[in-house]
Amino acid sequence: MSRLEAKKPSLCKSEPLTSERVRATLSVLKGIVTSCYGPSGRLKQLHNGLGGCVCTTSQSSALLANLSVTHPILKILTTAMQNHVSCFSDCGLFTAILCCNLIENVQRIGLTPTTVMKLNKHLLRLCISYLKSEVCGCRIPVDFSSTQILLCLVRSILTSKPACMLTRKEIDHVSALILRTFLLTIPENTEDHIILGKSIIVPLKGQRVIDSTVLPGILIEMSEIQFVKLLPVKKPGSLKVALFCASLSGDLSDTGEGTVVVSYGVSLENAVLDQLLNLGRQLVSDHVDLVMCQKVIHPSLKQFLSMHHVIAIDRVGVALMEPLSKVTGTRPIGSLGSVSPSTYGSVKDWCTAKFGFKHFFHLIPNEATVCSLLLCNRSDTAWDELKVTCQTALHVLQLTLKEPSVLLGGGCTETHLAAYIRHKTCNEPESILKDEGCTQTELQLITEAFCSALESLAGSLEHDGGEILTDLKYGHFWSVQADSPSIVNWSNLLSRCGCGLRNSQEELSWSFLRSTCHPFAPQTCLPHEAAGSANNLTLDCFTAKLNGLQVAVETANLILDLSYVIEDKN
Amino acid sequence: MVMACRVINKRRHMGLQQLSSFAETGRTFLGPVKSSKFIIDEECHESVLISSTVRLLESLDLTSAVGQLLSEAVRAQNNTYRTGTSTLLFLVGAWSSAAEECLHMGVPVSLIVSVMSEGLNSCIEEVVSLEVPVHHVFDHIDNTKTFSGLETFSVSLGPFLQIPSDTGLMQKEHDLKDVAPQPLTIHNLSGRPVKSPQLFRPQAKVEADTNMSQTPQTLKNSLLADTCCRKSVLIHSRHLNRTDNSQQISKPDGFLEQHGAATPQAYRCNDLVELEVGLSHGDDSSMKLVEAAAQLQYQNVRTQQGSCAMPFMFDISRIFTCCLPGLPESFSCVCPGYITVVSTSSTTLIKELQNQPIRVVLIEGDLTENYRHLGFNKSANIKTVLESMKLPQDSSEELWINRVLEILIKFNVNLILAQGNVSEHLIEKCTHSKRLVIGSVNGNVMQAFAEASGAVQVAYITQVDENCVGNGVCVTFWRSIPLDVVDTVDGMAIMLKTEGINLVTVVLTSPVTAHMQSKEDRFWTCASRLCYALKEQKVFLGGGAVEFLCLSHLQILAEQSLSKGNQACSGWLHNTSSWLASSLALYRPTVLQCLANGWHKYLSTLIYNTANYSSEFEASTFIQHHLQNAIDSGSPSSYILSEYSKLNSGIFNSGISNKLGQIPRVYDIVTPKIEAWRRALDLVLLVLQTDSEIITGLVHTEINSQSLRSWEDCLSRLELKLRDSSDTVLARHPLFRNNAGEPPLARKVANFHS
Repeated sequence: MSRLEAKKPSLCKSEPLTSERVRATLSVLKGIVTSCYGPSGRLKQLHNGLGGCVCTTSQSSALLANLSVTHPILKILTTAMQNHVSCFSDCGLFTAILCCNLIENVQRIGLTPTTVMKLNKHLLRLCISYLKSEVCGCRIPVDFSSTQILLCLVRSILTSKPACMLTRKEIDHVSALILRTFLLTIPENTEDHIILGKSIIVPLKGQRVIDSTVLPGILIEMSEIQFVKLLPVKKPGSLKVALFCASLSGDLSDTGEGTVVVSYGVSLENAVLDQLLNLGRQLVSDHVDLVMCQKVIHPSLKQFLSMHHVIAIDRVGVALMEPLSKVTGTRPIGSLGSVSPSTYGSVKDWCTAKFGFKHFFHLIPNEATVCSLLLCNRSDTAWDELKVTCQTALHVLQLTLKEPSVLLGGGCTETHLAAYIRHKTCNEPESILKDEGCTQTELQLITEAFCSALESLAGSLEHDGGEILTDLKYGHFWSVQADSPSIVNWSNLLSRCGCGLRNSQEELSWSFLRSTCHPFAPQTCLPHEAAGSANNLTLDCFTAKLNGLQVAVETANLILDLSYVIEDKN
Repeated sequence: MVMACRVINKRRHMGLQQLSSFAETGRTFLGPVKSSKFIIDEECHESVLISSTVRLLESLDLTSAVGQLLSEAVRAQNNTYRTGTSTLLFLVGAWSSAAEECLHMGVPVSLIVSVMSEGLNSCIEEVVSLEVPVHHVFDHIDNTKTFSGLETFSVSLGPFLQIPSDTGLMQKEHDLKDVAPQPLTIHNLSGRPVKSPQLFRPQAKVEADTNMSQTPQTLKNSLLADTCCRKSVLIHSRHLNRTDNSQQISKPDGFLEQHGAATPQAYRCNDLVELEVGLSHGDDSSMKLVEAAAQLQYQNVRTQQGSCAMPFMFDISRIFTCCLPGLPESFSCVCPGYITVVSTSSTTLIKELQNQPIRVVLIEGDLTENYRHLGFNKSANIKTVLESMKLPQDSSEELWINRVLEILIKFNVNLILAQGNVSEHLIEKCTHSKRLVIGSVNGNVMQAFAEASGAVQVAYITQVDENCVGNGVCVTFWRSIPLDVVDTVDGMAIMLKTEGINLVTVVLTSPVTAHMQSKEDRFWTCASRLCYALKEQKVFLGGGAVEFLCLSHLQILAEQSLSKGNQACSGWLHNTSSWLASSLALYRPTVLQCLANGWHKYLSTLIYNTANYSSEFEASTFIQHHLQNAIDSGSPSSYILSEYSKLNSGIFNSGISNKLGQIPRVYDIVTPKIEAWRRALDLVLLVLQTDSEIITGLVHTEINSQSLRSWEDCLSRLELKLRDSSDTVLARHPLFRNNAGEPPLARKVANFHS
């Protein structure tokens, strides 16, 4: 007999952000994400403490997914970041740090949430319209006729993840591979709409990174025995393909609940096998040359098929089903009943390939926008990190194709943007004051909080105790060794700015990032030749960063606006 | 004073310290003389004898995150190359201390990472000059016919690793005898070093002494390893072709002319026996077996393909090892076909099947009634009911067995090889009807039989039809050993063979059962070394020559960057715009020096382990001496090569006396070695860059939500603690040892050297 318990009353807490515990936890979370940021970011070991595999990473996706957070405020934050990462792959840490910085800075000034939200939103609008405008000084249009900018973009992403453990040579190799992979997914004959193909990352752990490669078509891993059996069967010309998503293993998969009663002497297994063999007969009479199955094919059916010179490949896995059906033009077959001939598709050719210790069935489709990126790395943890990084880079390339711009990386966009906003609110405050109905002081305070959040975000790129300077012409990011003598000829001490576009010999003047310098107008309108000479620039994805900026500000606003947390204790 | 002390403590990186203490346990496995270790489980009083890094790490409880990364790295190296794990483990230890020392001296982490990584890259480029091409070694094989060649060489190794070859093995046997009766003195699972000085030192000493008195000069020069009678010049050396180094080698042309022209094939390794001896690294008995297996495989393939076929590839997947513990060493041998142990109850059956070709069926999985292929889900809710009152006479298993027998009779099959288990009952029935069933057969063996006999592997016996049955397999007793000897192995060894089967069985025997595993491991290590050398068609000059070149190369780089400043190292950093790029010159010599110290430690331990020296200090002095010579000479690689030729011309051969002509080179394999280095450094750098450990993956249950909450509490506590602390970055992270107590997020790691 069940016993009813009286419901517990809900727990209501007011002003959750003022709680010391929340502040402290938020600050540790910030510490974790900040310490991961950038090419010299520190790594985190994630593991379950029970002997599970150890993941060494500095990726926001891995971190956020594994930090078990219970407090609603932190949950809002991590969920927003995870959503951003799942849509844009890149700039997760950027978003998280900026959001934490904003919350922290705004809390310190103690204005009413409504004013804060209004002004934050206004500043965000300023940022976005500037970044999108023609005069923007930190955006480079992408020229798809040359690979330079795209390579720089990919290289910047790979460099920013030190846990991939790549040397410079390996970074160059993998960047080129990623770009080739991306290009292979673009269809050749384009009409109005481009539908991008798919790239599949095939793991090959334990091998050298340099051995990584990309192949058009689909690679299906198989056992050595299967591989050897396949070698002699080879037919020229295109092949008729049947693709099954139903299991052909001959088991009774869905007997449902309850008990099935069978008379003695009746074998259900044999009945199913007979059905499978009937299916096999149909496939043979339909002149199918290649049968692929997501799950397992019964050995007897395989034997039957191979006797009739039909290649049978099983255990393809769910991940390959969609690309397989796409490139072959098949409709995956879900039942063992009779198969309609319209579900069959075709492939151009196939061959077998061996990489490292793995054997593959290599399917070459008629019109290839699907390719397989065979990715190698020495250790499991470095491979996992490299895989996610490659996926990010491929996604970023797709986003760049849609919106052909990139932003300057290495902290330069952030410092430049901060300088722009400072200058804007200082010189033309009238319109803002009028629109938002706030005082000059309030605007100044919020601008300071907003801009220093951006600047300290840029400063988070430094992990070895260096100091950050900004030049007073372009507003770019420059790093310098700590405790450098104060009266110094900066141009000799510095070499290049964070993104690599500016040289210290350009007759610039500098000031420390956190020092109170007079607002200046950073030079807008990036000259065209700058983009052309871009050889070794650090670049960021435009779309991802823009969205990250929005998510960070909006999430910070949301969290700052919370006045009650009501918890159902039942 | 107090201040200084605090800073030092905060700079301690716990992850690196763990790595070096883990690595310390495998120190004695470096080099050809490996001291065995006993690992004893204190709880169940079981013990294992191990003599390799892989087995050591398997037996240690490395549940900490860093420990797991370490064993993952070692496992990956072993799975890919089956060799180089001791090198990997040792370098992990040496370089984690090196990285820690850099931290100590205040070098920024990012700089340690880039300089070490590029430093090793530079070494890897440098050692190309010590590669020796391996070509056409099998061309000479037909002339030698037998593998007696090895016998003449078996007495000695390359001088750098010079020990009378038998002592290695003998010492191990002694160790075993000495250690076995007194397990209490050894150690427990928590990992104190096994090597107990009282037990082992005397023998090593004696050995060292005899060596010392015998050949003081050899030892002095042994670093340069090669005492081969042939001259050695490397014309493909990148060193010689590099313009910026040309002033170091005074007359490159003359140099080449002088040696190169005289003996055109001198810088190659064309002789299989020479290669094998060079790669045996002191393990002659295993290498002898490998050599025999390779020869047998070669002959097999040649007779199958005829003479004009593709170049021969040594395929170790077609070598099978059969371990017979309890038999004397002398029974170890190599045979064509498949040798396995079957129960003595089949004796009469074997006698009857002998001397006639029999038909075979190959089963991929288990041969039991209940076995279903992988991916088949049995439905639990099916109930069979009897409709009539007539009870079935046989159980379902008996019905199944009868069915199987019917099929076997129908196709006249007398031999069944199954990869999985076989029903005991079926074996019994089959034995009665003169059919031999062997279970747990290795997959490669199955494949070999499938190819040679024409059989097709099937999952179920019901699949068998005429096309699946193979022909012409012969069964005999192995070596027709007197049965009373074979009995000791709980069964008897039989041999299965087919005409032209591409399968070689290596029978490994040892009177000491505890030794069996390590014997098998050592065989495979040698086999993979030979396999890689043949596959890559190149080897390194071994005996520490490559490592010595790395050491002197780094030393020179460090000195250069001290004098030349920043020019030498542009492009050594990913992020050239950071301030780190401009301060690279400041720290580079320090970091390179630390990396070089790792090599130094490696070489000293290597020659100390080889028992030529009574202390590591002595060994280290010896290395230092040669290092100075090499650096003074201007070009370490030519120094190494010239020392080789000096040895060859007989100036220093007095100590080695009349054996000189027979002292072979020592070789090392190329890619596995370099990959071991890279893996070691990668692991160290990965741990170096890690600042926190986050424990995740708690099951979402009621109880654990408590701990979820406590994660946040934990963080808050950590943060509070941090606020008190003045040190900003280093103290924040649990991997840095904190004075205030146990770091909250870090797991406790068992300390190996308490």
